[in-house]
Amino acid sequence: MTIATPRIRRTPPVPDLADIQGGILRAYGNDYSRTTYLFVNVDETRAGLRWLGRLVDDVTSARPWTAGKPATTLNVALTYDGLRALGLSAELLATFSDEFRAGMAARAAQLGDVGTSAPEYWDTPARAHVILIVNALSEDDLTGRLADLRADLGRYEGLSLMHEEHASLLPGVREHFGFADGFAQPAVEGVTDEKAPGGGVRDKDGWRGLALGEFVLGYPDESGRDSDGQDLPSAPAGPLGRNSTYGVWRKLEQDVALFRETLRTSAAAFPGGDEEKLAAKIVGRWRNGTPIVLSPDGPAADFRGNDPGANDFLYHDVDADGRRCPLGAHIRRSNPRDSIGFGELLSFRHRMLRRGVPYGPPLPPEATGPDGQQRGLIFVCYVASISRQFESVQVQWLEDGNVFGLGHDKDFLIRGPADGSGKMTVPGEPPFFLGPQPTFVTTRGGQYLFVPGITGLGAVAAGTAG
Amino acid sequence: MTVSEPGTAVGTATGTGAGNIDGQAIAITVFSTVKWWGKHWLPLLFTTLRLIPPLTRDLRKLSFIHFARWTLIRELPANGDTAPRTRLRYPHLFFESNFNDGWEEYIDAFSYVLTRGMSLFWASSYGFPGALPTGPFKDYIHRNELEAAHYYSAYPEATATMVRKALALAPAVADFAERAVRLSPAEFEGAWSAFLTDAQDLL
Repeated sequence: MTIATPRIRRTPPVPDLADIQGGILRAYGNDYSRTTYLFVNVDETRAGLRWLGRLVDDVTSARPWTAGKPATTLNVALTYDGLRALGLSAELLATFSDEFRAGMAARAAQLGDVGTSAPEYWDTPARAHVILIVNALSEDDLTGRLADLRADLGRYEGLSLMHEEHASLLPGVREHFGFADGFAQPAVEGVTDEKAPGGGVRDKDGWRGLALGEFVLGYPDESGRDSDGQDLPSAPAGPLGRNSTYGVWRKLEQDVALFRETLRTSAAAFPGGDEEKLAAKIVGRWRNGTPIVLSPDGPAADFRGNDPGANDFLYHDVDADGRRCPLGAHIRRSNPRDSIGFGELLSFRHRMLRRGVPYGPPLPPEATGPDGQQRGLIFVCYVASISRQFESVQVQWLEDGNVFGLGHDKDFLIRGPADGSGKMTVPGEPPFFLGPQPTFVTTRGGQYLFVPGITGLGAVAAGTAG
Repeated sequence: MTVSEPGTAVGTATGTGAGNIDGQAIAITVFSTVKWWGKHWLPLLFTTLRLIPPLTRDLRKLSFIHFARWTLIRELPANGDTAPRTRLRYPHLFFESNFNDGWEEYIDAFSYVLTRGMSLFWASSYGFPGALPTGPFKDYIHRNELEAAHYYSAYPEATATMVRKALALAPAVADFAERAVRLSPAEFEGAWSAFLTDAQDLL
């Protein structure tokens, strides 16, 4: 299936990389093994503005590094409460998207953050103003930078450091359940075109990257692309509407002991008794990242997620019934590609640039039960529309299975229903039913964020944003 | 199946006014004023689509749509027995549909999958910006959409896809139950496995 209407040939817009914050369009990369999120509250507007004004010059942009990698990077994200605390006018505040203004906690019922995932149990501040994101090459680099930032904060009356969240990569860039993670990213036209096969959308000339405006405000998105850039997606007014983006920050605790235990007990009844195969059916990938739809009998030993072409796969023609990769497998639900039918046309407007990092120590392989340590994933994604890109994936594809013909089945890996009901069907001859569904993942915190361009951030600090 | 108060169920539905949502179902009601030639064009279009079913195949394949209906309104019915029917100076296109999932996803499907069809339906309506790009098309639908004063779903937990599968599953279960009573335990095991294999898409 390709897009039927004639497209206007044009050169894609050039992103203003010196003004877009770093870590959005491209990840900083796995050399930055440590990431810390500092939650700062602005109790006094003028102190907040002065502090931000000094910080602006230190913010890392998306401009390519010519003099090697810096030891640390710094990025600044704001919540709606934060924008208010920093004195933005009511007229300007009204131009931000409804879901951002409501905040993630207010959307908990729709997002499935209920039961033990409900905001009242979150261990990060429900109301936050500014989140500083610090990436570091080493522990020493991180310690030094954080000390500087804390000292700087301490110079201002009326600012408080509410919370620090420390995250760091696990060996082999795996997440805590043991799977290689984070490489099936959307391709951005004019930025990461090399990721287009499987990461973009097909038109009559083949794969192309998604419009820049799907991820950064102030540029045509996929709708604007169809009008030759005549209409731009909804964005805040003034300087905040350019080179900015919305962000989603979620702290997702993972119960690794329960995941392993469930695999062990369920595999006893699974044909062949193969625990690894059952794990791959739940996730949609073998642990090294090999998509099970391409390699149903075992992982490809030489698979590397970041290799060119590693993400170039689809479901519909080879596996419409899910005999290889179950329709309910985690990666097939969260990024269904052409699985819903009509090519990618019903999925390509729902892509996110994911920049998550695990937190907490790994559970040792020999552990036989819980060790009392907290661990999980700091899920971060950047999108031009939180409702269209993040929320619809969470609500339509992960919280409910209807669109995939799976009834009310939730994503088996990350959305356990509170009442212990729920199942996952692994298609086969005969099919295998996994259930009742345990809760492997619990939401422990979350914020909807706005990540301004550097000019926009400067305007906020100067009180000239509007 | 739980039954909720009409209009109060929280389902997976998103993206439209609360009055348009009940459980899993979303209603959409759109009126648009039609140019003079629409009163000839639309009946011709409706007849053509009725006579040649393959033309609406893609619409039917979108399983989250319960139904979609386009009607040309030339006069308003009597409001009470004695009032006269009102002939409209301009005819109106009345579009109504019920569907699952999200409003945005629904209009996206119209824009991207049924681009040509949507352009034909709304071609004669004033202000129609075209089915693509999807941004102005969504704005157009929003501007002409009416929020339902009352909307009721008898089965708020059910979706069209689920009902269709349940209807297909029912005779298969009945048939298997009838055969099962005559099977030995060993035969049953094989037959049950074969039944699950055949019916797995419906479970």
